[in-house]
Order: sequence, then C-alpha cells, then structure tokens
Amino acid sequence: MSSIEEVVALISALYSRQHASQIDVNEIQVKLQEIQKSPDGLSLANELLSNASYDNNVHYFGALTLTVQSNLESAKANRNKLLKLNLLHLTTFVRGYVLNSSQNSGKYIIIKKLMSNLSLLFHDINESEPELTTNEENSGMINQWWNPIDTLVQLLTQANHLDELSQADEQIRDSIIIQSLNAQIPYQDLIKFISSNPHYNQLLLTFTEIIVEDLSKLQTKRHSTPRINEIIRNSVYITTMSLLNVNLTSTPIDQIDDTIFKTAMAWITYVSLTRGGSVSMDLSELFQNLINMMYQSNDSTDSFHVAEKILSIWGYVFANDPAIMNHDLREQIEVTFLGVTRAGNADSSKNQWFLQYMNYLVTNEMISELKELSICIVDFLQTNNLDLCNKLFTKVAHDEVVIQQYIKVLLQLTNFPLLPVLQESFSIRMVDFWLDLADSYINLPNEILSTNAVNIAIDIFQQIINIYLPKISLDNKQKILQGGDDESLVHEFDDFRAAVTDLTQSLWSILGNEYLTNVLVTGIGFNDASGIVVNGNDYSSFYQIEAMCTVLNKLLVDMDLSESPWIVNILSKNQYFIQNILLLFKTGMVIEQNNRNNSILKLDFVRSSSDLISTISKYFNRDPKELNSCIEILVHGLETCTVRTAANNNSNVDVKVRDIDDKLEVIVVRTITNLCDVCRKQMSNYLVHFFNFFNNLLQFENNGSQFTRGKLARCIGYIIECQYDLGPENQAKYIVQFLDMINGYVDTCLNSSPSSISTQQVDYIHTMLECISEFGSSMINNEEKENTKLLEQLPQYQEFWTRDPLGCRSRVLSLIERILTNPIYNRNSSFIEVSCLLLGKALLLPDDEPHFLRFSMADIIQFILKHLNENNYTSSLPFFVYLLEKVVTQYKDSLTPNELDYLIKEIFLKCYQQLIVNDPDLLQSMINFVVSVVDTKPSLVINCPVWVEFILPTFIKLLPSNEKFTIFAVTKFWTKVVNNRKYTQEDLQLTRQQITMMGHELVYQTMYGIYHTQRSDLNSYTDLLRSLVAKFPIETKGWLVDVLPKICNNPAVHENFVSKLFVTRGSRAAGNVILNWWLACTSLPSY
Amino acid sequence: MSSLCLQRLQEERKKWRKDHPFGFYAKPTKKADGSMNLQKWEAGIPGKEGTIWYGGLYPLTIEYPDEYPSKPPKVRLPAGFYHPNVYPSGTICLSILNEDEDWRPAITLKQICLGIQDLLDSPNIKSPAQEPAFRAYSKNKEEYKKKVLLQAKQYAK
Repeated sequence: MSSIEEVVALISALYSRQHASQIDVNEIQVKLQEIQKSPDGLSLANELLSNASYDNNVHYFGALTLTVQSNLESAKANRNKLLKLNLLHLTTFVRGYVLNSSQNSGKYIIIKKLMSNLSLLFHDINESEPELTTNEENSGMINQWWNPIDTLVQLLTQANHLDELSQADEQIRDSIIIQSLNAQIPYQDLIKFISSNPHYNQLLLTFTEIIVEDLSKLQTKRHSTPRINEIIRNSVYITTMSLLNVNLTSTPIDQIDDTIFKTAMAWITYVSLTRGGSVSMDLSELFQNLINMMYQSNDSTDSFHVAEKILSIWGYVFANDPAIMNHDLREQIEVTFLGVTRAGNADSSKNQWFLQYMNYLVTNEMISELKELSICIVDFLQTNNLDLCNKLFTKVAHDEVVIQQYIKVLLQLTNFPLLPVLQESFSIRMVDFWLDLADSYINLPNEILSTNAVNIAIDIFQQIINIYLPKISLDNKQKILQGGDDESLVHEFDDFRAAVTDLTQSLWSILGNEYLTNVLVTGIGFNDASGIVVNGNDYSSFYQIEAMCTVLNKLLVDMDLSESPWIVNILSKNQYFIQNILLLFKTGMVIEQNNRNNSILKLDFVRSSSDLISTISKYFNRDPKELNSCIEILVHGLETCTVRTAANNNSNVDVKVRDIDDKLEVIVVRTITNLCDVCRKQMSNYLVHFFNFFNNLLQFENNGSQFTRGKLARCIGYIIECQYDLGPENQAKYIVQFLDMINGYVDTCLNSSPSSISTQQVDYIHTMLECISEFGSSMINNEEKENTKLLEQLPQYQEFWTRDPLGCRSRVLSLIERILTNPIYNRNSSFIEVSCLLLGKALLLPDDEPHFLRFSMADIIQFILKHLNENNYTSSLPFFVYLLEKVVTQYKDSLTPNELDYLIKEIFLKCYQQLIVNDPDLLQSMINFVVSVVDTKPSLVINCPVWVEFILPTFIKLLPSNEKFTIFAVTKFWTKVVNNRKYTQEDLQLTRQQITMMGHELVYQTMYGIYHTQRSDLNSYTDLLRSLVAKFPIETKGWLVDVLPKICNNPAVHENFVSKLFVTRGSRAAGNVILNWWLACTSLPSY
Repeated sequence: MSSLCLQRLQEERKKWRKDHPFGFYAKPTKKADGSMNLQKWEAGIPGKEGTIWYGGLYPLTIEYPDEYPSKPPKVRLPAGFYHPNVYPSGTICLSILNEDEDWRPAITLKQICLGIQDLLDSPNIKSPAQEPAFRAYSKNKEEYKKKVLLQAKQYAK
C-alpha cells in the first residue's frame, strides 16, 4: 500500500481546484478507489479520520472509505469494526463541531456521512432475526442495535472518558461502545442533553432524519422488513417524537430551525410507507403541534416562513396519504382552510389566520406559493369528496345550512377573484374537485338520493359553469400573453380551458340539455352580436361568445344532431346563433397578424367558430336556411387564407406567422369539407361556385397547398355524388368538367417548359393527380343507409359507366400517359404511386357499384406493363404490386393461370436476377404478391408453370434469410402453402404431393433458418413449423430426425425437441418448444 | 378487472389530471350507460415542435388488460397510420409497451405518451412494423417527409 502521506497527497490533489487542469483526475480516482476497496481500507479510513491536522476533504474521504467498505462483500465480517469506527469518529466530530460550530462548519458534511454509514449499518444489523448460531465465525458478531440516537447521546455524554483512554485501552473503549448500543436514554436526560447545546438538538434531529430517509428508500426497494420497523417503533420513534414535540412546543417561532420540518417530513414519509403493515406509529401529537405552531407564524414574527414549511408538509400528506391524519386533526385543517366544516364546527379565528396568510401571499405576489397552497387545499378537499357528496345529495342526516355554507365557500374558492394561471391557481385546481364531485354524484344509486338532490346538483353545477365561463375567456389569455413571452403560461391556460371543457362534458350527465346545452346555445344566439363595435384591438365583446362556443362544441361533438330534435329546435329558436358564430369567425379572420398576441387570438377565434360550425353540420340538413351564409363566409375566409399562404410561400415570412396561416387554412378547409360531406344534398346550388373557386385555386401561380386543393376536389366530388337523381349523364358531365379542368391545367404546365422542369412544377402536376384521386374517393358513397332513389337508378348507372360514353376513364388514362411519358415523372415513384391509386380506386368496390374510375383489367395490365421499366423498377415496384394484387382480387374469376404466369414472368422474373434478388424490399413485394394470390384463389397460381419452375424452388432457398421482412413474407408463403382453407380438393391434392416431395428440404431450410436467426424473428418460423406438425405429422417427424444433426451436433437437445414438439400437435405451445431448442442450440441463456 | 388494476388506473387518472405534458390529452372512455370505462382510454399525442410531425394531434386508444400493471396496455394509433413502427392495424411497436422487452409495472401513462411522441420523430429502424413508411424512411426521405407532413394536416389540432 502507498504510505498515508501519499494517499493524503492524492486526496488533496483530487480536491484541489488550483491544479485541476494539470492532473489526471481519472487516474487519481482509480488509484484511490483501489485503495478504498483494498483490505487496508478500514485502517486507512481510521487513519484519515483520526488525524485532526488533516483538512476536511481528507476527513470526508475517510468517511467515504468507510461507506465503500460497508458495501463490500467482506462488510459483514467487518461489521463490528465498521460500527465502532463510525461511532467513535462520529462522537469525536460531533464534539468538535459543537464546541466551535462556526469554525468547524466544514465538519457538518463529514458528520452527515458518518451518520449515513451508521444508518445503513443499523439497517443491516436489524434487518433479520438475530442468528442463533454457534458458528465461530459469527460469534461475537453484533446482531442487534436498539437505538442509534440513544447510542450517540450515551457516547457523547461519555466522550471525555473516551478521550482519556489511550491506544492500549482498546478493550475498554470497545466495551463502552458495545454498552452504548443497548443504551436507553430516559426522556428527562434526553431533554437535558439537547438543552445543553442547540447543536446537539440539531444533530440528533439530522441523525434521525437520515435513518428514516434511508429506511424509506429501502422500503420501496426491498420487501417490507417488519422486524426493523418494529425496532424503530419501540425505540427511535419514541426518541424522535420526544425531540420533535419538545422542539415544536418550546422553541420560540423566530428561533425554530428548518431541520425540525425536514425531520418531521422524513418521518411522515416513513410512517406513511409502513402503514398497513403490522407496525403502526401514531403521529397525531406531532401533527397537532405542527398545527399549533402554524398558527403562531405571521407576517411580523417570521414572514409566515414557518407556515409555509408546515403547509408544504400538509401538501405532501394530502397528496399522498391523507388518512395518516386522524379525523379530528383533519377537521382542524378544514376549519382553517374554509372557516367551516362539514360537521358544522367553525372557528373563525383559525380561518382568520389563514385569510391573513392568503392575503400576505396575494399582496406580495407570491404566485408559486399560492399555487402550492391551492394544490394542498384541493388535495385536502378531494379526500372528503365522498362524504360531501353523501351529505349534499343523499338521505344521510346532516345540517343543511352548514352544508350550504360549506358549498358557498367552495364556490368562492373556485371563483377566486384574480387572473387564473398568472395570479391564482385555485380555480384551476378546483376543476378536479368538481369533476370528482360530479362523478361521485352520477354514481350514486337512485334509491339513496334525497328528494331534492337533483335540484341541488343542478343549482351547484350551473353555478360552476357560470364561474368557469369567464375564467376561460380569451380575455384572460390575452392578459397572460401581454404579461410576457413565457409560453408555458399560455400552455397552462390552454390546458385549463381543456380541463373546463372536459368538466362540462361530465356535467352534461347532470344538467342535461335543458340546463346546459340550452343555456349555452341561448348565450351564444339570443342577442344579435352584429352591433358590437370592435375598438382597435379590443375584442372583449366576443370573448364570452368564444368561450361558450368552445364549451358547446365539446358537448355537441359526441351528439348526433340528426337524432336530437330537441337541440335542433333550440338552435332554430335562437335566431342569432349561427349568425353570431359566423361573426366570431369573420372577426377572427380580420384580426391583423401584426403581433404574436393578435395571431394567437385570431387562431382561437377562427378555430372555435369553425369547429362549432363543423360539429353542428347535421343541423343544416334539417334547417338549411343559413347554410348559404355559412359557406360564403367560410369560402371567403379560405380565399383569404390561401392568398396569405401563397404569399408566404413566395416570401421570407416569419416561421410563426407562416405556421398560424397554415393552421388557419387547415381549420377552415376541414370545416368546409365536412359541411360538403354532411350537407351534400343541400349544397347542390353551390356547385358552380365551388367549381369557380377550385378553378382559381388550381392555377399554377396560386401556389396553394396540396392539402387544400385535395380537400376542395373532395368537396366538389361530394356534391356531384349526391346529384344521382339527375341521371348518370348529367352527373358524368360534371365529372368531365372536373377532369377537363385538371387536364387543362396539367397541359398548360407540361407545355410551359418541356425541357426544364422545376420542383414546383413536379409538385403541381402531382397535386393535380392527387386531386383526381381525392375526387374519385369522394364519389364513393359510404353511407350505410340504403338510398331507394339511387337503387332504382342503379342499373342505369351500371350500364352507363360500363360504356363510359363521355370518356371519363380515357381522359384519366390519357392524362396519366401524357405525364408518365416524360421520364422525369416516370422515374418519380410518387407519380407511379398516385397513378396506381387512381387506377385501383374502384377495384375493391362491390361489383354492382358504379364508379367512373372502374378500369378494365386490360387497361390496368397494359398500364403496368407499359410503365414498369428499369428506370423506376426499384422505387416503384411496390406500387405496381399493390395494383396488381387488387386486379387479381377483383378479376380472379376471369384471370387464367396462363395469364397470371405471363404476368409473373413479365413483372418479376425478367428482373429477378438483376434487381430483385439483392433487394429485400423488392423480394418482399414479390413474395407478398404470390402470398396474396395464394390467399385469394390458390388454384390460379399453383397451376401456373412458374409455380414449379420458379416459385417453389426459389422461395425455399429464401427461408434462411437475414432480412426480417423476407423471413416474414416467405414463412407466411410456406405456411399458406402447407395450410390453406381456400384449397379445392384438387389444389389440396397437388400441394400435398409437392410438399411431400420437397418436405425434407423445406424442413431443413426452415430449421437452418431458425438456428441462424435472431430471437425476435423466431415467431415467423414458428407458424410454419406448427403448420407442418399439424398437417404432416408423420413425415415432419422423420424429416426433422434426419435434418437436425446436419444443422448442429446436439443429439440430446434434438431428441427432446422432436418429442416435445409432437406432443404440442402444432398448438401455440410449440412456440416455447422451438424457443427452448433455439436457446439450447445457440447456448444462450433463457431470461 | 382486478382490484390492483382498478386501483392503479384510478391512480393513473389522478396523476394525469394533476400533471400531464402540454398539448396531450388522455381520459377514460364512457360506457354506453354513461359510466366511466377505466380500461379503455382515449388520448392525443401532439407532434413535437420543430419536427415534421408538428401541428398534428395524433389520436390513440389505450386498452388496459385485466392483468395491468403486470402486463402493458395495448396502445393503438388509427389503422393505416403512416409510421415505420406502427403496424397496419395501428398497434405501436415500442419496447416499453412490450411485455417481453422493456415493460415495467412502474411505467406511467405520461411516460408512455412521451415515449410515443419521441418515437414519432425517431423511428426505430430495427423494428419495422409496416412496409410503406419503413421503405420510404429508409430509401426516400423526401417522400417520407411529404407523407408525414400531409398526415400532420389530416390530424391537425
């Protein structure tokens, strides 16, 4: 070992800031750690702690070395020694600290470290029952330690005697220490001891705090340790309660040390964690003393410092374990917080104190303290929620006047007269309380409700709505925004609004339409708001309408207005309802985005109004008279948005402004699309307007977004789809008009600069095709209700679209051709994707459903064969395969095996060696296509020549692949081949023959694949093996016995595997058997 | 539902209401009779600011099994959701949601939601769950970005 001087020098160097840059800190740490862990660690620690001339860093390192030694495996053997060293040095350091605390303040951290070491030893010693052993190794081992606090007091009172002992008196010293372990200090002596010096008091409190903090940590990590809890209850708990209660009752408030509250908190946490076990510790006296002390705290004595500390303790208690406090104590808290209790007890002086405290916080703008307090109070209130609910709404005997008074206070607390988020949090926290109360009320059985429960509930919860509507007003949000750039406050306010709307949703179950929906609708639409004049940036007149729109939207979003004549009637009766929502929308749209606040306000106004219009869209089915103005205003709003976003795209506008404009556009177009979808019948008069607007929007220079153009195409589609009563030809004329418009713009763009094509042009052309796709989707009517008019005309429509006399499909095909002829578009997979989407649009519709995009098989196959080429093969094959799969599904009965054989050869085999074989994605696409055919109509593919020539021999070799997707696809293929419910008798016979012939190879490749794969891919193989075991049990057993030795040499494992596998008969249990074989063969641990 | 499951779900609800990240929402659904179904939740995950997912509020359904918290909840995005680690059914492939991987009973709803928000912009290419998004993410980032941006608009707040 290095000499002690060397170690001290290393420690000094480690902690020396001056030389930090010149030394290798890591190297020193490694060296010191080696020494700490060495068998000499104990002696080293003793040396370092014994020499008073060393500095605090060296002493601390000594204490740390004792910690390291306590955590070594040898710690148990050295336990006695560790205990003695820690105790001795703690005694010495405490004495030094107490004698001159200002000079020795640096010793405090060393003392805490030694206390922490002792705390762990205390736990280790008492963790298990004392060993009744004659084992020599354990004889003399300390196996019980009663009370570390008493031990320390005992040693400190004998410290002079210990000092006088020389090195030679080690036995006497040991005996003093051993005796101190079971010392019991009487209460009077303890009090006398802490009175002798305030530092003793502080250090004993710290020691007990450290002990229970460690125990709390261990309680959560390990299984409960009842023995140590029992020892604590019988010893340390009694001592600590004496210490805490004496401190709380006899220390003047201006001299009280925060250590008391830290210790009290640590004990409450510990007792709370151990509650419910066999050991119980009552904290009532402590709580009572804390309550009493809290009342002594005021502005003039300690600026409510003590009150704040104690209230934070209550905060913890009510948030985590309110039942730890008995009923009487909780009632004292209740009367303090509210001035009244549910039992009718009142003590205005306590509440007066509390009001003074609140006043102090408000006056001094101590927002975070107010927030903490609101959390504490609401947590407290929630503990009494059920009781309050019973007293309010059931037949449980109670004093009604008291309860009404109680509710009044709660309502006042909810209506805290300051700005939410910025100045107060009570209203925010109370949302949770009312939500719980509403839930409790809703869950009460009818039989126990009092006669006037419903009226009481309506009365209370209506008041809640009335309180919260102004609280969530955007007026408050604007004030928060004006207060600064702190985004988190704005987020907090938005969360508050969301919480209030959630609460309202719950309250609907109580208030119903009559007292909630009706009130909100009337609130929005009873008076004409068009007379409101906006002065400058003051939009305050609209804030209340906006808040009601937000809340109402949440209520109506889950309702089907077509089935709620009540609400439809209410809406109709409030003549300004729609008008005022639209006014809100228009006001939002004209707010200038000249600063952040206005931009956010604009977005909120537009979002609330247009979301509500969207939600009530079914109302216009019943009463369409205001649909006209709705559409006009929304479309005008959208025009404004698109102009702005287009301008933004052409200039360097601030990201946030661009972001707001984008959001506005999305919100408005979403509402328009929903209106067109829901009210398509009523919208027929607007078709011309939509065509005109769409025409403008499609212009290349317009620079509109793909999203908006696509949605508008949908809107037109919805309206045209609904015009079936005019007959197919009239409908087709509109479709032609739409397609010609797109064709025209595409041609203009294609012809504008055929040689050099910009990114914008590529995007534009792509958007045009997307618009046709969206238009095509909207022409599919998903309504479940049978439309008799449409059904009557169905044959006429079917016949019309089979002929397609106006050439809609040829228009689309020709457009695609013109675009894809250009290699730039042909090479771009997104054009192939959208083209395939268009051609496949109607493929999966029921056969009798007419659609203008129902292309023939010949058209589609011709398209695939023409446009799949080497230039786009790798990037576009998956899209062609998607289309081909749909073709096979749709035309499976007219497609012949020879035609499919041709397609497979043309589409896959021609490029297999060159492109597919080395690309797992293409391989997957090819295999998945074959799987889809096997799944749809197996006879089609198994009778193709390519099946035996290529598919079976190739796919078997792909089984041991390294690629997850290939493994997944190919195992799925073979599983389907082995076990397929769609096989005809002939298919089954043929495939069984083929499997029997190649079974040996199939099993070999499968097992080889399993052996070499990673664990996460085992499941893919499991399904295949299960199918083989279930369908070919005898053959598979033989194949396995034959192939397993060729894969790895582990006969015992193989034998076990085969026998267990066949016990499962292909059930799910086979998965575990395969996993165990894999683990055993790969020598990996099972975990 | 076991009492442990019920107790834990009530605790989760309480915790979420008290402290949840901004822009997210999560709440139990209602049964047909209007009572709360604590085993099935609806939630919304906002795309992170500064990413291509920003602007969208992606809806989730969270189903807690009877064995929760021993077993993880099943978390789904809408079917057909475009993301490399989301199966075509919408089921999310995330290690903390897998009983055989990193699921621990102590994992909270908040951690799950934040984990999914992280996953949106940081897909795990070692665990692909759908072919189109995985292919685009691996081979054609531009196409991937376009599709994600469009999807963000579809799920715009």
